[in-house]
Amino acid sequence: MYGKGLRPLSIATVAMLAVSLSLIFFYAPLDADQGFIQKIFYLHVPLAIVALIGFVVGGVFAIAHLRTNNRKWDAYSYVAIHMSVIFGVAVLITGAIWAKASWGHWWVWDEPTLVSFLIVFLMYATYYPFRYAIEDPERQARYASVFAITAGAFVPLNFMAVRMAQSLVHPRTFATANGGLPGEMMFVFLCSLVTMALLWVTLVKFELTAKSASGQVKRLRRALDAPAPGASSRIAPEVS
Amino acid sequence: MHTLAALLPLGAPALPLDEAGKYVAGAFIVFMVLLVVYVAIMAAKLQRIERELRELASFAESRAKGEEAAPGRESEAPSISDSLASHGSRGGGA
Repeated sequence: MYGKGLRPLSIATVAMLAVSLSLIFFYAPLDADQGFIQKIFYLHVPLAIVALIGFVVGGVFAIAHLRTNNRKWDAYSYVAIHMSVIFGVAVLITGAIWAKASWGHWWVWDEPTLVSFLIVFLMYATYYPFRYAIEDPERQARYASVFAITAGAFVPLNFMAVRMAQSLVHPRTFATANGGLPGEMMFVFLCSLVTMALLWVTLVKFELTAKSASGQVKRLRRALDAPAPGASSRIAPEVS
Repeated sequence: MHTLAALLPLGAPALPLDEAGKYVAGAFIVFMVLLVVYVAIMAAKLQRIERELRELASFAESRAKGEEAAPGRESEAPSISDSLASHGSRGGGA
């Protein structure tokens, strides 16, 4: 069931990746201030936006889990957070590369945008040990959902706080005093954003499909009373 | 805009293209490497699932053969189709 529509989604994602990369390097104009380095913007910012929205989506799935007590939503929440953490790793690395090229430092500790994202990332990094410190699956799912909701609510609050903070280092992309991005840059940026969103959805579907298949195999094994192949190493919630 | 953009690398106070190119390439390569590593992990997971399914299929086949050889024990061990049917309504996930 989870694999339904995965093929066209994957094809669309790959096509959009190709289109976005072409637009970034052959269509988007060079930035007057940063020059070629600014191309990282089309990768780094959409990744960050999708990662942060993914954390919030994980919280929304967690609400659905607590409301319905259906473990399916817990698995959705887990996979959404898991994928956003992976995107977060990419955000931190590409951001550090951009910072080194642009500011001459891999990391700037007095920059609110950077530090706030790191705090959000580290908060979600604790999701895994928190979750798997609890052995009972029901309690594990319930507590993980509470964590996902609390942390998911923190993300937009954190974003707004950073927007209100005064900083002269990290650029503001939208709604700046100078009018933000020119049309061509905005078009390429939006294409990149759609591409990253598609990639996130595709990878979430892949992960859910794999978990569902793994769950079905376990149920089949139980139904056949077949011996398990060694100790189970599963740490993620099972989707059946 | 494009004409202006083409002139910018010469005049803008940015890193020269040969130096900036390394960082831009680095950022995009990191992204692609992460993507490839993830796909590789997913491929390994799928291989494991496929191997487990193969084991289960051969286990089920050998059990079915054993039941055919000893028909009197049929009532004790349900057939594979019965086992699947009894759990099939819960299958499919979402």
